[in-house]
Amino acid sequence: MPPKRARTSATKSDADLPKVRADALAPTLELAEQIYDQLDRGEIPRMRLPLRTKQNLSFQMREGVWRLGKAMGTRSARKLDGALMLLRTFYLVDFINEMARDRKTSTLRELYYISEAWEDAKFHSEDESNLLIEDLEVMCTRLREDFRLHPEENGASVIGDLTIKERNRQGIVKKINCKDDVGDGGYSLPFNVEKEKIEFVGSNAKFVIAIECGGMVDRLAENRFDEEHDAILVHLKGQPARSTRRFLKRLTEELQLPVVVFTDGDPWSFRIYASVAYGAIKTAHLSNYLATPSAEFLGVTASDIENYELPSDQLSEQDVRALQAELTDPRFGTAEWRSEIELMLKNGKKAEQQSLAKYGLNYVTEHYLPEKLTEMEIL
Amino acid sequence: MTPPQTIAQQLAAKQREISVAEFFERNRQILGFDNLQRALLTTVKEGVDNSVDACEEASILPDVLVEISKESEDRIGVAVTDNGPGILRKEIPNVFARLLYGSRFHSNRQARGQQGIGISAAVLYANLTTARPARITSKVEEEEAAHVLELVIDTQKNLPKVVSEGLDLWDRPHGTRVELVLKARYTRGRQSPLDYLRGTAIVNPHARIVLVEPDGTRVTFERASTDLPPASKETLPHPYGLELGELGYLLKGTKRATLAEFLAKDLQGVSQRAVKDVLTRGSFRANEPPASIQGERQERLLTALHEVPLVAPSPDCLSPIGSMLIKRGLRNVLGELKPEFFAPPVSRPPKVRGGFPFMVEVGLVYGGGLPPDQPVQILRFANRVPLLFQQGACAITNAISNLDWRRYGLDQKGGSGVPSGPALILVHVASTKIPFTSEAKEAIAEDPEIDKELTLALQAAARHLRTHLSRRSRRDFANEKFTIIRRILPKLAEKTSHLVGKPSPDLTAVITRIMDVVNVETQVIAEPKAVRVPVEVTNFTPRARVLELFVEIPPDVMALAAFEPAPEGTEPELGRAWWTLPKLAPNGRTKLEVAFPAKSDVDASDFDWYIAGIDEAHVLGADPLPGDWDVRLPRTIVEAAEMAAQEAAQEGAGEEEVDYDAAEASAHVSDEE
Repeated sequence: MPPKRARTSATKSDADLPKVRADALAPTLELAEQIYDQLDRGEIPRMRLPLRTKQNLSFQMREGVWRLGKAMGTRSARKLDGALMLLRTFYLVDFINEMARDRKTSTLRELYYISEAWEDAKFHSEDESNLLIEDLEVMCTRLREDFRLHPEENGASVIGDLTIKERNRQGIVKKINCKDDVGDGGYSLPFNVEKEKIEFVGSNAKFVIAIECGGMVDRLAENRFDEEHDAILVHLKGQPARSTRRFLKRLTEELQLPVVVFTDGDPWSFRIYASVAYGAIKTAHLSNYLATPSAEFLGVTASDIENYELPSDQLSEQDVRALQAELTDPRFGTAEWRSEIELMLKNGKKAEQQSLAKYGLNYVTEHYLPEKLTEMEIL
Repeated sequence: MTPPQTIAQQLAAKQREISVAEFFERNRQILGFDNLQRALLTTVKEGVDNSVDACEEASILPDVLVEISKESEDRIGVAVTDNGPGILRKEIPNVFARLLYGSRFHSNRQARGQQGIGISAAVLYANLTTARPARITSKVEEEEAAHVLELVIDTQKNLPKVVSEGLDLWDRPHGTRVELVLKARYTRGRQSPLDYLRGTAIVNPHARIVLVEPDGTRVTFERASTDLPPASKETLPHPYGLELGELGYLLKGTKRATLAEFLAKDLQGVSQRAVKDVLTRGSFRANEPPASIQGERQERLLTALHEVPLVAPSPDCLSPIGSMLIKRGLRNVLGELKPEFFAPPVSRPPKVRGGFPFMVEVGLVYGGGLPPDQPVQILRFANRVPLLFQQGACAITNAISNLDWRRYGLDQKGGSGVPSGPALILVHVASTKIPFTSEAKEAIAEDPEIDKELTLALQAAARHLRTHLSRRSRRDFANEKFTIIRRILPKLAEKTSHLVGKPSPDLTAVITRIMDVVNVETQVIAEPKAVRVPVEVTNFTPRARVLELFVEIPPDVMALAAFEPAPEGTEPELGRAWWTLPKLAPNGRTKLEVAFPAKSDVDASDFDWYIAGIDEAHVLGADPLPGDWDVRLPRTIVEAAEMAAQEAAQEGAGEEEVDYDAAEASAHVSDEE
């Protein structure tokens, strides 16, 4: 566990960010108190939680992100599933408090295996445990890291002229330039990218380009795109992890760098962009903390597929369903997104970002990106 | 109205004009020999039907061996051996090598091979396709050796021709063996000999049937019952079902001297008064010799017989399988699938259609290893013979399709058509005359009377299924609640009290709120000399309850039963007893016990338990007291029942919020692929 974070700097939206406190575990005990009192009064134990569904997202005008709305559900011991989740909650709370006493942390995966000893309450899949942790985050307005639970190191890489100070496991602060001090793989993000772990020293970059696939990151690095255009390359690795999204947000907020998102041209990539810019549905309770509303979608767009005559594949049935689902997703409710989704449905085509190699290895860095970035008024 | 001639009769008439070979060629399809797979099945079917019928006529428990061998890909040997009474030497050629010969053609009783076209058609088919004679071995008990005959059919004259003959010292007291070599194809699976024999074994649990397949695999359907089905009695023909040709045959063959005597004694249901009416109506004299009635006068006689009121035909000649044997047969053959539920089989009372009595029986099996997402299996039987072809054209299938099975717990698209689910439905139609759609006897034709009976029988079976499923779902519901209160709640209390550092809370109130039922738990403990049925009634509701418990058991068991404590009241002749239970506080329980001497045929888990004083939605393990129990309840119980009804009416008023853990609500949308 990293040392307690004492964040002092505050951005505008910091007010209702989950605060990291020394008493991180107090709210978990309050939950136990609640249930205990219900039992003691002879009431059927229950908890109320905001529903984490697409229908219950609401746009926060002030922050420009999508957060959970007001619709609530009840988790009650009246039904077996509810009773089990309640029991699990307190096995989890007990475990968290035990870890705090023993000064330990646990990966999400380890927690899943820890639950083997919980008998009836053990988790049947890691999804189940992850969902419960998110429930606990919501109910306690804390982050899972406050509960001493963290994902495995994600290692998303960063390449570009950015200098940071990272406090390593020995507690020693190292200064690293993400262009000069790293190997070809770039600088690897730890799961914790908060200030007490990583501090931004400075950067000469003009913008950040977040990229879906590793192959494209390598292409841009090999072509020295970052140097030529003063860019920071961030590898998203598909659906980006919390730490990657948090890192992008910090780059924007603290260094005032614009972020563009460069993905494949398919419905799933649209969702990658949405979770960077607007917040993911699963973590909508943390949108203020994770989302970068100013991030812009660069491509590949449905019209790019036509305009650049990119090699494409037919949309599969799942792709079509995903696009249709996006049409009812409030995050894609803008006129631009609507027409983009409808165009893709109409053309029935999707393309990978690496299909730009059709015109040679330099095409993406010499033509496509400069054209798109100029259009977006970033270059 | 003159009933139309049967197809068999038409065939018989034609047959005089053309050679039987030609006749056979023309009618292959309706005789069941239109393709190689079916030719084999028809041959096995005719052989086995003959064998089982012969055994039953002689009151012998059938033991039938069917051996199938492969001479080449499309040349199949079939041998059917039985332990029947055997056939006299002089009868053998006619029984096996002459079409439309048989003692059953004019008999008015239910038999498997109804029109006598059967086994000799198979012999003819074998003759025609492989030029090989049929080899018959038969021994009657009185003789020391078996006669072995090789037969072919003279296709010009429809007469048997004995190719060779000999004697054999057969190692069995009596029986018959038929061996044929025919052009055919052997298959397994649907519409195969195995399929047919399985069906035969289900409805003939008194038969032991063994199949030896070409690769040597031996499949045995063991006998599940040593009771022979009651022999169906041969009865006189009833005029309502009589056709013109048959009437002519009867008039010619009777030994009665006068028409009046013939009417009264050779026919069924014709009273003295009716005899007079018939004679007057048709302008016949009472003392005319029956044989003198011919041509147009026969028609007049039949019309008169159909016009006067007669006594309804007797159902004695039917041979139903019976509830007990349907259950045993299904258990015997399907046992390995471990079905969770065998519905009590339904046997409808006999009804009459035309002049012919008929009855419908239905069995239903659910769950276990039966495939859950496929159309239900339908086993159709006519006079104990499995029907394997033309399921879609059969009145049985139609009756099943026309019932809305969704109401009874099976899936059915749009509420009609064959339902799907892990179920098997057995339907048996028994009649002295079944209206088949064709002479191949593979599907029962639509008939309003039969359809009505089919529907009633199916509904009765379906109701049993619904009761079972609703009991099961209540049981699942109860198990879920018990899991919550016994396994989860105590741990939840332990965890939370540990976290907050307080003593474990008393859970009584929560438990009763979650359960909110009165649980009646009965056990059956079989001891060497007695069966004990302890009953525990627990009040898992949040308030005190005053209850009355009732039990209904077979009256003969009641006479020997001991009750602890003594019941409040009894009605021994109806097998009923009841108790007013002590007032039960929340979580309170009370026990009682019924015991009776061990008796093999009483299943104590079938006892019916009823309860009064609480709404049925709040009871597990007992049903509400049926209306026909004319019992005077104590005032406290009546009041408790009224209050319970009020409570029940108020329930569900305050609808709750979305269940966070219900499938729909917890389907958290993810942005991932």
